[in-house]
Amino acid sequence: MLRAENLTKRYRQGEKEVVALAGFTYAFPLGATAVVGPSGSGKTTLLNLLAGFDLPSEGGVFLEETPLHRLPEDARAEVRLKRMGFVFQQWNLIPTLTAWENVAFPLLLAGIPPKTRRERALELLERVGLEARASHLPSRLSGGEQQRVALARALALDPPILFADEPTGNLDAESREQVASLLFEAGRERTLILVTHDLELAARAERILHLKGGKLVWEEVSKVS
Amino acid sequence: MEIFHLVLRNLLARPVRSLLTLLGVLIATSSMVLFLSFGEGLRRSLFQELSRVGPAIQVVPEGTEGLGFGAYPEITPAQLQALEEAGRALGVRALVPTLFLSRGGFDPQTSFFFQGLPPGVGPDLLYPGVRAKEGLLVPKAEGAVVGGKVAKRSQLALESPLRLSPQVTLRVEGILEESGGLADNLIFVPLEALQRVLGTQNFSAVLVALSPGQRAEEVARNLEKAVPGLKAQTTGDVMRFAERALRISDLVRFGISLVALIVGGLLVANTVMMSVYERTREFGVMRALGARRGFIFRLVVLEALFLALLGGTLGLALGGMVSYAINLYTFSQVGLALSAITLRLAFFALLVALSLGLFAGLLPAYNASRIPVVEALGRV
Ligand SMILES: Nc1ncnc2c1ncn2[C@@H]1O[C@H](COP(=O)(O)OP(=O)(O)O)[C@@H](O)[C@H]1O
Ligand SMILES: [Mg+2]
Repeated sequence: MLRAENLTKRYRQGEKEVVALAGFTYAFPLGATAVVGPSGSGKTTLLNLLAGFDLPSEGGVFLEETPLHRLPEDARAEVRLKRMGFVFQQWNLIPTLTAWENVAFPLLLAGIPPKTRRERALELLERVGLEARASHLPSRLSGGEQQRVALARALALDPPILFADEPTGNLDAESREQVASLLFEAGRERTLILVTHDLELAARAERILHLKGGKLVWEEVSKVS
Repeated sequence: MEIFHLVLRNLLARPVRSLLTLLGVLIATSSMVLFLSFGEGLRRSLFQELSRVGPAIQVVPEGTEGLGFGAYPEITPAQLQALEEAGRALGVRALVPTLFLSRGGFDPQTSFFFQGLPPGVGPDLLYPGVRAKEGLLVPKAEGAVVGGKVAKRSQLALESPLRLSPQVTLRVEGILEESGGLADNLIFVPLEALQRVLGTQNFSAVLVALSPGQRAEEVARNLEKAVPGLKAQTTGDVMRFAERALRISDLVRFGISLVALIVGGLLVANTVMMSVYERTREFGVMRALGARRGFIFRLVVLEALFLALLGGTLGLALGGMVSYAINLYTFSQVGLALSAITLRLAFFALLVALSLGLFAGLLPAYNASRIPVVEALGRV
């Protein structure tokens, strides 16, 4: 279980101090939790801290009972590799690698032998319906296809935690539906943390956290279950 | 898709840039290899020649290095006599006064190198293993015995006249078999004839053959003590001197090629730095997915190393081909392979290329691996 405790992030901007996140406390249970809020409300900051990309000014992030914010850089990387998966809007796939090689990348980092990597990557691509595109470079895939490859990559090491930041932001309606249903399906037996300003998408999560000015202002349990 | 595979992919994704960088390293390495190969070639031929030189000690005037071709003969008959007395006392096997003379210009094609021998002494005493192919081995008073290569080059046959000066003309009495040694390029004539040409009674050098069991260094020091103004060098002395001279010229030539190497190194550094800058976001993604900093570091260093090593290897190959071509030419001209790419030169070239890559890659690699993840991800 992933838990944020009094999570606070302040940025210095010249003389001024910006509080991007102010005392955020929440324990993320199994299943999908959406984080919504207006632009600048601290959603990306929260995600950066939860994933260990950045360190909090105050408070902490705990995975089970391990304080992530106290781990050194490479140890946090290790946690991300083994325990977390990521599907983000602006994140391109690695442009010089084909679809299956992108999916296999976390497996490479984890030191899994080449043959197993390929088999597993192709399996995952099949799961997102892209086995026919395995050898294509990202530049030859549509936005929706790229996002599905990214989802397959996020699931490569079967992590218990899945992060998604505006995963459907740039997609047309049809692709959006495809990516969303794959995402929620994958999130069912994991902790899925979905950052979005698409309320329709958020409504499909089990819980919705409303952020405003860096504060958790309202936890809403979704009508859909 | 190993880490090396990632490096290759990235280089292939920007083929023109990678190729140009490769070309830069190739040219830098091949020019260094060529420059240094001349030293190696010289070293090799010199030591081959020296090890074939028979006499263990050469006595030359102080201040001369090597055999003193071209220098005016300075050993006087009195000094020779003193040497002979000292030699007898020391029990050396033989003392052979000799004179060197070169005729001709800078072009080795038309130059002749004469060595004067006392009556009754043949070239086989100084150059063991030398044999006559035609005619005599030991020249008579007005005769000359010609080394195999000279004879071929200048189309000398038995009875050909050799004009050393308006007053002195000798006839070819013998032609030597080619032995691959220094003797191939020499013409052996009576000492007295060369002295007449030069108008002197002096000698260029006195060669000393030792009796079995004698130690060259010891005899040399004793001869020097006995006859002031002369220097007795052993073959070892000559080699040491030549090695010292070659080492200095190696340094000079390496210094010159360093310019090319630095340019090559800067090219690699530039390519890698641009590639790092362009891929900041990609590295951010990798780090976010769980790559350690060391992984990014290796990725970048490997890219630089690969470029440098491939460029270096190709440069070595190109240097080898050019060296071969040069040798074909110089061998046909002077019978010497001027350039040699020895194993140690090849290793050295690859080592230099490797360090080039390392130096060019370390800083960009360090920088790439230190960018904070959020910052790397934020850059578009
Ligand atoms: N690196 C930064 N330096 C300074 N201020 C920042 C930085 N990142 C975010 N902020 C500020 O923190 C606040 C929250 O930003 P962010 O977490 O990106 O919000 P959201 O993702 O909800 O739009 C904003 O006011 C933003 O300007
Ligand atoms: Mg944001």
